[in-house]
Amino acid sequence: MNNFEYIYFDIASTTPIHTSVLEKMHEINKNYFGNSSSVHQVGQRAHNFIEKSRKNMASILGCLESEIIFTSGGTESNNIALRGALNKNDHFITSTYEHPSILNVAKSLEKKGIEATYIKPNKDGLIEVEKIKNAIRKNTKLVSIMFLNNELGTINPVEEIARLCTEKSILFHTDAVQFIGKENVNLNDSNIDMLSLGAHKFYGPKGIGALYIKKGIDLNPIIFGGGQESGHRPGTESTSLIAGMSEALKVAIKNLSSNKKHINQLEHLFISELDKTNVSYTLNGKSRMNGFLNITFHGIDGQALLMNLDMNGIGVSFGSACSSGSTKASNALLEIGLDQKSAKETIRISIGNFITEKNIFSIVQSINEIITNQLTTKQYV
Amino acid sequence: MSKVLVAMSGGVDSSVTLLKIIEMGHQPIGITMKLWEYKTVGGNSLQDNNCCAIESINNAKLVCERLGVPHYTIDFTEDFKEKVVENFVSEYTAGRTPNPCVRCNSYVKWDTFIKQADKLGAEYIATGHYAIINNNKGVYSIKKGKDKIKDQAYVLWGIPKETLSRTILPLGELTKKEVRDIAREHQLETADTPESMEICFVADNNYSRFIKDYTNQNQNKEGTTLDENNNVIGENPGYINYTIGQRKGIGVTNPEPLYVKKINAKENTITVSKKGGLLSNSCNISNINWLVESPSFPLKVNCQIRYNGNVAKANIDNNNNAITAIFETPQLAITPGQSIVFFDDKETLLGGGVIEVYD
Repeated sequence: MNNFEYIYFDIASTTPIHTSVLEKMHEINKNYFGNSSSVHQVGQRAHNFIEKSRKNMASILGCLESEIIFTSGGTESNNIALRGALNKNDHFITSTYEHPSILNVAKSLEKKGIEATYIKPNKDGLIEVEKIKNAIRKNTKLVSIMFLNNELGTINPVEEIARLCTEKSILFHTDAVQFIGKENVNLNDSNIDMLSLGAHKFYGPKGIGALYIKKGIDLNPIIFGGGQESGHRPGTESTSLIAGMSEALKVAIKNLSSNKKHINQLEHLFISELDKTNVSYTLNGKSRMNGFLNITFHGIDGQALLMNLDMNGIGVSFGSACSSGSTKASNALLEIGLDQKSAKETIRISIGNFITEKNIFSIVQSINEIITNQLTTKQYV
Repeated sequence: MSKVLVAMSGGVDSSVTLLKIIEMGHQPIGITMKLWEYKTVGGNSLQDNNCCAIESINNAKLVCERLGVPHYTIDFTEDFKEKVVENFVSEYTAGRTPNPCVRCNSYVKWDTFIKQADKLGAEYIATGHYAIINNNKGVYSIKKGKDKIKDQAYVLWGIPKETLSRTILPLGELTKKEVRDIAREHQLETADTPESMEICFVADNNYSRFIKDYTNQNQNKEGTTLDENNNVIGENPGYINYTIGQRKGIGVTNPEPLYVKKINAKENTITVSKKGGLLSNSCNISNINWLVESPSFPLKVNCQIRYNGNVAKANIDNNNNAITAIFETPQLAITPGQSIVFFDDKETLLGGGVIEVYD
């Protein structure tokens, strides 16, 4: 990173690691290197850190310790849930704007004789329960709908869908990677059967996540090895990553209401500042999580806006990124009915806990300047 | 100091271009144009000299980071497919031999890319082409590069004239060897990258395989081989496998070597002749683009009819907007679809067009 202060408005992609998490991980990496499966004391100490973490997370999420397995992150959790639950001739329902770690798994399962139905979100960016209901068939085995859409920030009626599924004896999984750490959940009172989460979205480290699997649900293992994580995710556990995730979740939940209040205020400030300019925009999605702003800036190339902001030291997100670093217009936007042009004029601004009022003034000023320049510069035709 | 958008393919030429732009005191922004997804249409995606391959894009990023320059990858695959690949396929299918690099320069690099410059507030674009932009009191022109082997003026004839004043080609005054030496001296990651391929989007260089995969149709239907008097003298694996002037793979035994003289896509025939039969002293020209103000006809020029080809003296005439070239000495294998490019005696690029059959 350059030596100027960079303002990061992209916590939906990933978050910086909280200081107390870093300290915890450093301590473990330094002093507790043991293999948690080893019988000796070195192994036991590592093991105990892992189990304390599991206990902590279970109590925060309102579930049993045995219902949490540690994975390498959201993608792996989603794979284990879907591929573990579905067999040939089963029917599966999901939505068209899921993360690729759901959509691409679904596509690969379709090639193996599993039927899939893809529900479109409505224009507000939400999945309607009625549409799920209508899609259910006799052989429907699993429904998977994301809790919080990563591009729009819209929160789906997941509990209602889960209740419907329970009534019909269908398994319900939710990709809650964007949701966990931003709101409370109590899985004890919930009909959710499986839930995926990833630590790096709540100020924890990358490369670690978890899958909640309700007691009594039997999944086919998809990775084989030693028996770690009840056989669902074999491989030596990373003690420091697991403890780091647990610590991150603890901090996030402890500060939940103050963080929410802070982000809520900043979002209002952002909108009111933006409204003082002549910039023409539309805020996409209803029933949004505060701090997730998916905005179409009319007549402005979103990708160029991102680049111009980046060169001004401000980071936002555009479309869906691929490995080369190039981007395409966001799939979720097309799914909620935006045309290609509008989708390309849209960026995502996500506000983190560390953002200040001054940062909000900076981004609005920068957006205003870039857009004004772009609209007044004579374009080469 | 001006903002300059530098086209970074991830090879040595564009890396040194970036270095030169910094030396000129400009403020560069490195952009890799992602033009093609190799896995879309077969070929060996592991070749390391493909630009647009992930390794090349990563190299561009590393060079930019080393030089402290922002870098972005922009997806131009739709533009490239529409403006370059579609034309490439339809031209070959019609029995012609296209110049995809020319179309890429004309329609992607000097169009889409310059529009991108506007969006990023950049005054100029810079590329690693071996050619020189000449500014004579505000009148801009292109000249052949110093390295006569690498010279790329031939592929620049189609760019819009009004973009010349916004274009910087820093490698025009350098040889390829000098460029590599500069890259090594600055320890650029790309100093020893291999030369790029002939047709960047055909990874295995097998264009007939590419066209077959792209169109999902087998163009390799047995064709007929004719002599100059239209007598059938053999069979061939299909016209798509041939270009004008080709000697290899004709499959007819003859005491003197035979060459492809004509391709008829409709009838799926190729006409072959001895070398002398390929000589012709004229062609028609379509899609003309002038890089100088209102030329007067007949115009005496030095013509180049193939990339890396020699120049030949010719007269360009304009009869009611039908443009023709009459060569002073007959030329071998004037190939429809290829570019014909005009230079003056001082190697200034005057313009060019696409070769058509003379009628």
